[in-house]
Amino acid sequence: MTDLGMAIESSVETGGRGAFRMFLRNKPAVVGSVVFILIVLVTIFGPGIYGTEAHKMAAGPFLGPGDDAGPLLGTDYLGRDILAGVITGGRTTLFVAAVAGALSMGLGLVVGSLAGYFGGWVDALLMRFTEIFQAMPSLLFSLVLIYLIGPGTWKETLAIGVTMWALPARLTRAEFLRLREMEFVKASRAIGSGDLRIMTRTILPNAMPPLLVAATLLVVIAILFHAGLAFLGMVDINTVSWGSIMGKNRGYTLTAWWTVAFPGLAIVTTGLSIALIGDGLQDAFNPKLRGR
Amino acid sequence: MLSLLAVLSLFATACGDSDSSSSDSGSSSASASASSDDEPAAEEDAGEAESSEDEEAATEETTPPPQPKHGGTMVIATTQVGANVNHGVNSGIGIAQPSSKIFASLTHLDSNWEPQPYLAESWEVSDDSLTVTFNLVEGATFHDGAPITSADVKFSIEVIQANHPFTGMWGPLESIDTPDDLTVVLHLANPHPALWIATSDVMMPIMPKHIMDDGTPINEMKGHPNNVAGAIGSGPFRLTEYENTRKIVLERYEDFFIPDRPYLDSIIYVIVPDEDATMLGLESGEYDSAGYASVINAEKVRNNSDLVAIPDLLGGVGSLNHLQFNMANSIMSDLRVRQAIAYTIDRDYVINTLHQGQTMELLGGIHPSSPFYNENVERYDVDLDKARSLLYDAGYKDGLDLRINYIPGPNEQQRNVAEYIALALDEVGINVEVMQSADLPSWAGIFFGGPDAWHMTMNAYFNWGDPVIGVQRAYVCANIKPGVFVNNSAYCNEKVDELLYAAAAEPDVAKRKALYDEFQEITAIELPFYGINALPIFGANQLYVRDQPDGAWGPLSGFENVWLDK
Repeated sequence: MTDLGMAIESSVETGGRGAFRMFLRNKPAVVGSVVFILIVLVTIFGPGIYGTEAHKMAAGPFLGPGDDAGPLLGTDYLGRDILAGVITGGRTTLFVAAVAGALSMGLGLVVGSLAGYFGGWVDALLMRFTEIFQAMPSLLFSLVLIYLIGPGTWKETLAIGVTMWALPARLTRAEFLRLREMEFVKASRAIGSGDLRIMTRTILPNAMPPLLVAATLLVVIAILFHAGLAFLGMVDINTVSWGSIMGKNRGYTLTAWWTVAFPGLAIVTTGLSIALIGDGLQDAFNPKLRGR
Repeated sequence: MLSLLAVLSLFATACGDSDSSSSDSGSSSASASASSDDEPAAEEDAGEAESSEDEEAATEETTPPPQPKHGGTMVIATTQVGANVNHGVNSGIGIAQPSSKIFASLTHLDSNWEPQPYLAESWEVSDDSLTVTFNLVEGATFHDGAPITSADVKFSIEVIQANHPFTGMWGPLESIDTPDDLTVVLHLANPHPALWIATSDVMMPIMPKHIMDDGTPINEMKGHPNNVAGAIGSGPFRLTEYENTRKIVLERYEDFFIPDRPYLDSIIYVIVPDEDATMLGLESGEYDSAGYASVINAEKVRNNSDLVAIPDLLGGVGSLNHLQFNMANSIMSDLRVRQAIAYTIDRDYVINTLHQGQTMELLGGIHPSSPFYNENVERYDVDLDKARSLLYDAGYKDGLDLRINYIPGPNEQQRNVAEYIALALDEVGINVEVMQSADLPSWAGIFFGGPDAWHMTMNAYFNWGDPVIGVQRAYVCANIKPGVFVNNSAYCNEKVDELLYAAAAEPDVAKRKALYDEFQEITAIELPFYGINALPIFGANQLYVRDQPDGAWGPLSGFENVWLDK
């Protein structure tokens, strides 16, 4: 690759530093980021500091929040500490969401970029395939997968990850279709870059902004999917996650609200904070808003 | 002999076709079917019974009892869905509820488990207990006006023998004579004390021979159209509307054989998706009656002065909640391992804390409300040191890994207890993984997977009245076979076989009890099952519901005497 080639690639960088400044000026996005970082820190260090093991019986069953005999946020039907569950359960939930989000993003990127870049029969084939997945209700598809392969953290992650990739695939394809005819791509091709290099080094960086926003959305969807599966009783009963706490206590919603409310609150807070980050990213990458 | 049964399915399952039987069945006995309609579900059932011990009723005794009134519609909520409305061809609470109103039986079973006249106005038993003669009520008719005769009774028994999963009910029957239209004579091979269960309420719907004996092979009566919409029955109510997953409407049969009965104009069974919906409907007054399984809901009903709480709705069904061990498995076949587990589980904690003191302790295979229950057996009270040393002796000094499955059912009874057991066993070095099943058939799959498919499971065998029907099947060597609700523990003890077969044919109640007592003593020690509690089926009625049957079958009997005081 020549100097000219490097120059072309670097010249098309969209100005990450400017976007970062834009992001910092967006207050909701900053709040979302802070909250999200706090949640991650709590799930990593919280269980060690708090001490109580989430899956053990800590006190009598169904003690309400503030009940002197029990822990701060009450206990569930076996007397397990809800606060310990919320702190510890975040590990599984965030792990599943992050890995499932990354999995679907990766699948979507590969399929979408191949379809968008090469076009023609490759595009037609891949997009018809994508449409099959798009046409299926994702949660239902995940349910069927879990039913077939059984519950378990990795299996749940897989079942969620493979059902969500149609959205990033279509988005990636659209970006690649748009960018492949741009002057800088033609320039890169003119100096002899191979297809792989053009796709990964020239087009992809320019397609990243909408994809990053989509990635945050996917993580939120994955959290909700996992909670949905758990609510239907389709996740591993031996693993503590926000969703599994809610799912296991579903029958007691009317009589012991705290067993469902606090893990639910954790899911809402996490989802909201990631969504705010996504919004902030979208605004930051939007050139029309820049400089306002 | 006996087959199968029962399960509780509970909420979840959907119903299905009853004959998806996964077992081998075939010949004689039991075919165990995994389908949900065999399951009585623990839950619900519906209706209610006015219990004589009920406090509210007791306070009302001080004023003269009000006179029964005609009229009104009783709305009963249930979570149970049945495949049809004829309990003569399938078992299951969803079927039993409407079946017991649409079809009359020879006898009622009262709260002392004694037979009372119903379609049979009297009967005589020969001195050797081998011949029983029933005299039918004169003038009884089916819902199409045709007379009910001894031929219909004979036909009904034959249909039940050929189709019903409880093969123990009619096992000793040799022949049936019908000397005239109103007399039925049963000839038995040996004394058969369980006969009085078999002729009672829900177990013996009298079906119309002139409609059902239309060329359909006798063993294919499960598929006969008279089991569903348009069924012609013999009971106090006619089936007028049948949507088995939504509602079942029954209306008063004007020419019922007991004069001036029934009191109610109609009964509507509303099928609701879950207990929460049941509770909301009871509180709002939308439903007059309902059955449910949750102890939390039981507490709620108890604290609601607008409702009458019924502590145990279905003593006759005799639903058990127990831990079953797979003795075909190399680890679990060691008695010391099973004993170590038994010494670790705190039955009192389950009953008093997890179930808030609202369930009854269970020590063996017979329901605590049965006259044959024996409470003087080995209890394996908690002793963790003993449990550890038993495990050490058995060669597991570094602990061991086991799995516990649970039958899909009311969570408090099945899943929660399984989770508790897993946590408790952790204390003595047994690491237990809780295995969940999405539905009844997938849970039942463990019984077809060979000796290592499972170690232990929360299970729920139902007694269905007499030990011959619901208990024997789980313990006799001959019933070790693939299937569900057969002898899945693979437990085999010749002495126990002897006791059970002797008790099945023993007409003297005291001697019979002695035989069953010894059976319970032996099995409590040897632990094919570790009993935990009787699976409760609670009921709730609005205050104005009167004179619900208080017999062993509770709401699974004819409602000809029920009336609404409003």
